[in-house]
Amino acid sequence: MGNGPTSQLDSQTGQRAVRGSHIALLVVLVTALTSATFAATPVELSVPDGVLPPEIPADNPVTAEKIALGQALYFEKRLSTDGTISCATCHDPRTGFADRRGKATSSGVGEQLGTRNAPTTLNAAFLAKQFWEGRAATLEEQATKPLSNPIEHGFKSDADVVAKLQTLKGEYGPRFKTAFGSDQITIERIGQAIASFERTLISLDAPIDRFLAGDKKAIPESAQRGWELYNNKARCNTCHGHIGALPLFTDDDFHNIGVGVSRLDFAKVSREAAGKVAAGTSVDKLALTDPNVSELGRFLITGEQKHMGAFKTPQLRNIALTAPYMHDGSEATLAAVIDYYDRGGNANPFLDGGMRPLKLTAQEKADLVALMETFTSSDLERFKSLADLMK
Amino acid sequence: MYRNDMTRKEIERAFAERSPDDERLIRSLENCDRRHFLSVSMKFFGMAAAASIVPAHAFTLVNVANAAEGGAPPFRFAYVSDTHLYAKGMDHRFAKAAIKAVEDVNALDPQPDFVLFGGDLAQLGKPDELALGQQILKGLKAPVRMMVGEHDWYLDLGEKWKSMFGDDHYSFDHKGVHFVVLNSVVEKDFWTAKGYSNEERMAIVSGLDDSRQSPFEVGEPQRDWLAKDLAKVDKNTPLIVFSHSPLYKLYRGWNFWTDDAEQVQAILKPFKTVSVIHGHTHQLLTNRIGNIHFHGMLSTAWPWPYAPKGLPEYTVQMYRPDPFNQLDGCGNGTVDVIAGGRVNKNYSLWSRNPRIVTAKELEGKSLPGGGYKGPSY
Amino acid sequence: MRHVAARILGGSAALTATAALALALGVDSGNAVADDVLTRTVWACDHRKQVVVEGVAPDAKLDPARAQLVADILSDLMRYCEEEITAEVGLDQRITIRANGKVYERWTPGAPIPTLRVSFGEPTDREKAIWQAELDKLVKEGDRLFHSDEVGKNGVACAMCHPNASNTHPETYPKFQTQLKKVVQLRDMVNWCIQNPLEGTPLAADDAKMQALESYILAQRKGVALEIGKH
Repeated sequence: MGNGPTSQLDSQTGQRAVRGSHIALLVVLVTALTSATFAATPVELSVPDGVLPPEIPADNPVTAEKIALGQALYFEKRLSTDGTISCATCHDPRTGFADRRGKATSSGVGEQLGTRNAPTTLNAAFLAKQFWEGRAATLEEQATKPLSNPIEHGFKSDADVVAKLQTLKGEYGPRFKTAFGSDQITIERIGQAIASFERTLISLDAPIDRFLAGDKKAIPESAQRGWELYNNKARCNTCHGHIGALPLFTDDDFHNIGVGVSRLDFAKVSREAAGKVAAGTSVDKLALTDPNVSELGRFLITGEQKHMGAFKTPQLRNIALTAPYMHDGSEATLAAVIDYYDRGGNANPFLDGGMRPLKLTAQEKADLVALMETFTSSDLERFKSLADLMK
Repeated sequence: MYRNDMTRKEIERAFAERSPDDERLIRSLENCDRRHFLSVSMKFFGMAAAASIVPAHAFTLVNVANAAEGGAPPFRFAYVSDTHLYAKGMDHRFAKAAIKAVEDVNALDPQPDFVLFGGDLAQLGKPDELALGQQILKGLKAPVRMMVGEHDWYLDLGEKWKSMFGDDHYSFDHKGVHFVVLNSVVEKDFWTAKGYSNEERMAIVSGLDDSRQSPFEVGEPQRDWLAKDLAKVDKNTPLIVFSHSPLYKLYRGWNFWTDDAEQVQAILKPFKTVSVIHGHTHQLLTNRIGNIHFHGMLSTAWPWPYAPKGLPEYTVQMYRPDPFNQLDGCGNGTVDVIAGGRVNKNYSLWSRNPRIVTAKELEGKSLPGGGYKGPSY
Repeated sequence: MRHVAARILGGSAALTATAALALALGVDSGNAVADDVLTRTVWACDHRKQVVVEGVAPDAKLDPARAQLVADILSDLMRYCEEEITAEVGLDQRITIRANGKVYERWTPGAPIPTLRVSFGEPTDREKAIWQAELDKLVKEGDRLFHSDEVGKNGVACAMCHPNASNTHPETYPKFQTQLKKVVQLRDMVNWCIQNPLEGTPLAADDAKMQALESYILAQRKGVALEIGKH
């Protein structure tokens, strides 16, 4: 089945920084439990040489105190209407910070099944936009939206989220005080804390990185052939390219590759929507009656025809750990994904012109799968303490 | 809410600054069942449209100010142009693109009154290429009007084309508009003296930058025919002329050119409303000379870069296409004939936002300008 | 110069007319420095000019001052393209030139060497014509390939999207090529186009076809300023 992730603890500057922040966390936790005083211990996010560090909003510098609070919130199941769902439920540290529960899409409170395959939180800090349609520009914006989603954490509004956390004021009040200077709980602060924690989830050390740095033995021959294909015949790199400054195997852009079009009469619904918006028809009159209209993707956010049915190009780090694949989880394995691209995706009126049948041989497909297995980080042991929080 | 000079980051932030109600709407769309959907759909699309983004250096959606102005009733025709087919089966990228255009036109609702084929059906003028094109175009539901391009003509000087599609120049009337179809790719004989074979002649003409060929012209016989045809038409009748090459002189090096353009324009000038729809240039192209509006059609096969000189000031250029995406810079489109017989030209660019060039824009005091003006050549 | 003087006084070689003249000029046409003196020789790239530096071991590194002097001497002597010239640098830094059987003492870079024609390495008209003809041949072949359907497998020619090689912008390479996700040279993008829109097989860098294509593309932009990295 090819190469699994190596278990060696390759020391990286990232590891040092995180260890440093773990110590800071310990100090902070102790402080928080004893005397809640505001502290802002700055934490520098460490990235390998040549990588552009994640953008951090000016109004939310990363501090150890916020990280500690954010971590607590990330794993807090009580931040859901039935007490069963935390962020980690769908973004589980045990499986690359993606959903491990085996269904195509994630489920929330009351086991309601949603329409989206939860993406990984690892390295999400580097991405320009969050969510499959890209409707959040920062981690702060993304973090709180699932809370007030009826199918995810279940709350009816941000106010309800805050109210729930208020009932835990004994525990959280002091932490908010330490992190933000007062014990006032607001939805903005919740987002800022969770985002700060998520910014520490950086992992950019995988066998493929060592191979690209010059170690020809870092990945097996099959994967090396896969890399050659990835950049040539299989045409992966144009959307999933590895750029030194942003080594996530994504172009941070949106493409219609035809996933999910069979769920509705996509041709009809999409053409209708596009035609009407283009002709300047008052959009209130756009009576689209198909309930699967969320498959129109980013078009629903921007109204731009070029985004019809387009979803975000996901990053591919740790992709071997985060099955299933695509925004709707419709491809169960990496091999299935390769087959999907080999077919040229699903035809639809807005299919990206870069999709085409690839005519890959069985060996070539296997090589590509072997390659993607080398995208699994070698330093996931760093997050073991977080994984332990799930047990 | 959005300005032209906003950075992408600012635009994204502006997106995020939605009301809690809007947010709820979007989220609930993710997990919609029928019950939810009907209540959210209307309001949702209202929000999306109100947020008309205008990112810098991208295509803007020009809303059609299409108020009725009295006169002939508006109607619409579609176009598919410059398919450049090789006879290499239906899986060839040019064949697939042509089929995509047919599907696009067939999906139009309501259907256009007719479809104009803009020329260059075949790539090398071969009978099997023309046959493939005819087969693909037969898929169109609306009636088709054919126009010839140089790639169709110069293998056998139009013999096959005429036997399949009829005259290379003709006119017809439709809903009060007089339509003229020209063969504007006539070339003075450059092949006999050099002893070129038919295939060599075709190969030379098919090279856009091949200077061994002659400039395009309409030619005296056709100009005479045009003058006679138009003599019977009232000067207030709107005129729409179809030609393959632009009926003006843009760039000689690529035969974006009609050698007797001035003489042809002189014949058209006396008419109150004249629009020329042309192919050949494979790009967004707009011009106005006097009272004549000129609009280029997109190709389904590939986009051309803009010529190094001669670009009309009325043209809002498209940003150069990405070769990874074989559809980028290509497409088809429609022409809205509005009140008074003027036209609004719709460019349905594949993989990009559509662009509409209105008659009003061309008549405006200030030129449209704007758009990407970076290097393309 | 002491060594030289010793040679003149002690030499038993017959004095030729030239030598007499040379003597009159105060130079010696005899042999070079004495055998017992360390010397280090530096050759010019054409292997026709050499500088012999006294007092330095044969494989030792020259000190910066002497290295600069050697460089200055060779740079100047390279003007005499076809000639074989030896320059000797004495311990007292004085330079002696030996060329065409003549010796010139106390020479300094820039000073004339009267019997030598200064040629500046300029090619002759005939040479230039030959070289241009070879280049034209390659450009012409590139032109042909660029417009042909041989390069790819699906009938698409480069010239279809790039008439007159327009929109190729060879003067902007190397640059970050978005399709390749890294900084590349012109030929890498040519290969990408061959593989993708043309569905063909990429060419090796030294493949005659690639050489021809690159030559044609660059020839169309002759005179355009380099703007590497420009998008």
